[in-house]
Amino acid sequence: MHKKNNFVISTQHLSRHYESYIKSEGLWSSVKGFWNRQHKISKALTDVNLEIEPGQIIGLVGSNGAGKTTLLKLLSGLIHPSEGTAQVLGYTPWERKTDFLKQISILLGQKNQLWWDIPPLDSFHLLIQIYELDETQAKKRIYDLAERLQCTHVLKTQLRRLSLGERMKMEIIGSLLHEPQVLFLDEPTIGLDIVAQSTIRDFLFEYVKNKKPTIILTSHYMDDISLLADQLLLISQGQIVYNGSVDDFTKKSEQIQRLSFLLSKSEDLDQNVSPLLLGKYTLSTSGIEQTLEVPPSDLGPLVTEISKRGTILNLKIEETNFEDVIRKFLQSEKR
Amino acid sequence: MKNLRSFFFRNYATFKLAIASNLEYRFNYFVDAILQPTVSTLIELLLWTAVFRSLATNSLAGFSKEQYLAYALCAPFFARIAMNWMYEFKMINDIETGSINSILMRPTSFFEYYLSQLLGYKMITAFLSFLIPLFICWAFNLPLIFKNLPLALLMVFYYLILIFTLSFTVSTLAFFWNRVHSLTAVKNLSLWFLSGEIIPLDLMPEPWKGILITLPFSSGAFLPVGFLTGRVGLPEMYQGFISISVALLFFGIISAWLWRMGLRKYSGTGA
Repeated sequence: MHKKNNFVISTQHLSRHYESYIKSEGLWSSVKGFWNRQHKISKALTDVNLEIEPGQIIGLVGSNGAGKTTLLKLLSGLIHPSEGTAQVLGYTPWERKTDFLKQISILLGQKNQLWWDIPPLDSFHLLIQIYELDETQAKKRIYDLAERLQCTHVLKTQLRRLSLGERMKMEIIGSLLHEPQVLFLDEPTIGLDIVAQSTIRDFLFEYVKNKKPTIILTSHYMDDISLLADQLLLISQGQIVYNGSVDDFTKKSEQIQRLSFLLSKSEDLDQNVSPLLLGKYTLSTSGIEQTLEVPPSDLGPLVTEISKRGTILNLKIEETNFEDVIRKFLQSEKR
Repeated sequence: MKNLRSFFFRNYATFKLAIASNLEYRFNYFVDAILQPTVSTLIELLLWTAVFRSLATNSLAGFSKEQYLAYALCAPFFARIAMNWMYEFKMINDIETGSINSILMRPTSFFEYYLSQLLGYKMITAFLSFLIPLFICWAFNLPLIFKNLPLALLMVFYYLILIFTLSFTVSTLAFFWNRVHSLTAVKNLSLWFLSGEIIPLDLMPEPWKGILITLPFSSGAFLPVGFLTGRVGLPEMYQGFISISVALLFFGIISAWLWRMGLRKYSGTGA
């Protein structure tokens, strides 16, 4: 491995800006825009500094347009930065050196990378030649990966005839065929049903346990992140707002409990409980129940207060999950 | 040596996949390889038959009716070999939609990936469709110098590489502007005329005749078909090969520069 330090991936002040043109509404603005176009610069990524050690699985989380895919594209060498530098496996990614490309792989959940008209086995044969792999071993690996993904039966069927889940499994085999040291997974389970999601998730879990590649994973499904990632990168408006372990994030974040209740006197419920809650918590209605998200320290006094306001017909206290914590964090960042 | 071996095997694999992929659609293959060239040949034959019927003589600019018919039969087939608009569209589309990402991420090049595919596609369409004019010329005893066929074919395949380089140059413009397909249409129309597919270039008045024959585009139809039908000699053929080589160098440098600049600008579509 061609590396200068212990980090597989490192970036310094990495930024990427995009230029787009402002089109006002209406025909006249289209005519005017023919000779006089106004452009705007949007910052997709600003001043990103990262250091990632070998074998880590990084969950890259952020809302739509936060800059996740831009970061992946920069680190995989698909695009050039506007400012800053990056090193992946000791290479500058966007120079796209052959030795670098042979050691990485990117899986884009929303794009097909294999040939549409022919069976995946034929596409894999091309990949064997492109990556200069030993044919016998590579074929063994294809069947091994297909067996683990439970999709051996579709290897000889044209890609266009496969379901979304089957196609994604084929894409995964294609991206792992050369056993990359760094793997970029951009929403690998997007649009899949629960069964396919869980098969792929379990497969990736086993794969990373055995092969120990460095992975950067983006997903809108927090189950993917919580099961697979040991490091979390939260990105908001092009900036990294959290970089640390998943466990630390959950501990550091305020432990929130969800309290749902139903009172006998429901008509003035908001006023009944408001003295305690005013200005502190937001009461939301879910069906006929009222719901609050509160820290454990406030839970006791709050239940006592509510019980004084009427007969409690129903009361439920739930732990909030990883997804809730992330959502709350990103919502607060957006504000 | 290892790099050369690897280059050959990966491109041979792409070449074979292009053949397999095209054979998947049998009806499209039949239309593409047989029906389409047959229709265009019939149009050319009707045109030249009408021209000679309107003339009092049986020769035009020193060439006989049979020589024109042989030219009209072969020119569309040669021109078809040197045609690349379908892969040009694919390349432009790949850049516009971001599908190019899957190629950029692999240790291969966009240029060779599509050139191998194009050659695979030509292999199964061009050779089959080329049997049609050869058979008609043989059956109707039209003047065709069969011993000139290998050099004529070699020239048109060399020209195909130039046309592909030109297509690659056009497609790199998609990094800078959206919708560059219109340029493909303009380019194809120009080549249709400049190659001599519509009319033999030696019918043009001087100085246009000299200029058009010197340009590399005459190697797409006029020079190889002229050589095959006896209107063009070996010196013009050699000059054609030189002309293609110079143009290849020129467009090769321009496209490599545009490609480098384009990648710097490329956004990979979406943030």
